[in-house]
Amino acid sequence: MTKLAVVEFKLLVREPGAVFSLLIPLFILVVFGSSIQPGDTVLLPIALAIAVGLVGLYMLPTTLATYRERGILRRMSTTPARPVNLLVVQVLLQLVLALAACGLLLAVAGAVLGAHLPTRVLPGVLTFLLGTAAMFAIGLLIAALAPNGRSANGIGVLLYFPLAYLAGLMQPPSQMPAIVAAVGEYTPMGAFRLSMQDVWAGGVPDPLPLGVMAAYALVVSVAAARFFRWE
Amino acid sequence: MTVIDVTDLRKGYAGRTVLDGVSFSVEAGEIFGILGPNGAGKTTTVECVEGLRRPDGGSVRVLGLDPFTDGRALREQVGVQLQHTQLPENIKVWEALDLYASFYARPRDWRGLLEEWGLADKRDARFGKLSGGQRQRLFIALALVGDPRVAFLDELTTGLDPQARRVTWELVKRIRDNGVTVVLVSHFMDEVEELCDRVAVLDQGRVVALDTPAGLVGGEQRMRFTLMAGDSVPGLDGLPGVTGVTRTGDRVVVTGRGDFAPAVTAHLARHRVTVSDLRIDRRTLDDAFAALTGRSFTN
Repeated sequence: MTKLAVVEFKLLVREPGAVFSLLIPLFILVVFGSSIQPGDTVLLPIALAIAVGLVGLYMLPTTLATYRERGILRRMSTTPARPVNLLVVQVLLQLVLALAACGLLLAVAGAVLGAHLPTRVLPGVLTFLLGTAAMFAIGLLIAALAPNGRSANGIGVLLYFPLAYLAGLMQPPSQMPAIVAAVGEYTPMGAFRLSMQDVWAGGVPDPLPLGVMAAYALVVSVAAARFFRWE
Repeated sequence: MTVIDVTDLRKGYAGRTVLDGVSFSVEAGEIFGILGPNGAGKTTTVECVEGLRRPDGGSVRVLGLDPFTDGRALREQVGVQLQHTQLPENIKVWEALDLYASFYARPRDWRGLLEEWGLADKRDARFGKLSGGQRQRLFIALALVGDPRVAFLDELTTGLDPQARRVTWELVKRIRDNGVTVVLVSHFMDEVEELCDRVAVLDQGRVVALDTPAGLVGGEQRMRFTLMAGDSVPGLDGLPGVTGVTRTGDRVVVTGRGDFAPAVTAHLARHRVTVSDLRIDRRTLDDAFAALTGRSFTN
């Protein structure tokens, strides 16, 4: 299991997609952050949502569906090792990637851009975990349903942009049609952004978006487990 | 010792019968071929034996174990090379071997396998950069890294050029010479003839024949030659193995079984008879398959 984790970690580092999921949110942060206000509570939550969304909707499903398509899970099931270990290692590594992307954003925002960082850690960690769980669950469902790596990639990208729009990551929700903005609060990335903004404002996150994320995490991952195929 | 025992194996998908009562057994130390055209049920058969698929009926024992209930204990002792399997593009050769070795309780030293399979200079190459033959050798090495007692090789040489196929055949013989029982799935007649000690011929989910390649080819062979004008050869029909002699003008056709051809040529030499156009029509497994099924074997 340790060796599996080490090898999978090396493969992740060699994957150009992993670098992109670190750099794209950072790029957005730096471009928009040059004019950041000291008390800003909007930009960093958006950048964090983009980062976690990229990993959950794009990296995770593409990797897993490719592994199934190439018969790697099947090949593993002919050895004494269990292929479910590979899934567990992948989910953990992608979680590390999401953490790294968020850590990088916070470090650059805090050290270089002089952005405001929340002082209370626990609500931020809770929001991160719930949001990541919700978006990873969607990624797992994509991996379960997509026939191969390329289509998983396509579905991920196809889902990513409407979800990012609904979540208010592309346009401030105040400028969106009211009904669209309201729907957006019930999407995983929208709920993540809302909770993170509460965290940045220094308060305790509203239970509603937290509940929305928990519900996605639970329901969608059950569906993913139900539909997952090993080959 | 019987290593694999399959009795009346049955399997269907969505109402379509794929295996219709397949039975065979594999003895220790042999290369056992499973031969048949595409769609005959070869891969499904080995997948049931490997425990990847649950049969609808019949029984399977591998090394005395049930592939389903004793799967884990069994997988320690078998090595598998699957058709249509790949590795991640970016994994290096040594990493793949090191990783697969870690799956087994008592693996072989993968460094030795690198040498043995001619991959030492590709140690740090990524899977995506390997040629077809190198990939195939890596897959075989991965199938052997657990130090198995039985190795399953499925469509080993599909997609390889003729030279790489020859090289791979030599390697498969070496696996057997190292004491590993080999189950070889193939739709290539020449491959099975070259490698296998015994062959089960599958057609439409049934075993239509189970014999040595020579036994399958079996039957009579014909030897033809042309005599110099006016020459005659008495006593050909009394030679061991010869079943018939017909002469039309100067053309002679001798039919026979087994090793009759050397006896005939020695006889000709003894009588100082010079012949021309000497040909032996050897029946091939293709002929045998056509005789068994009434259909030609098309790759």
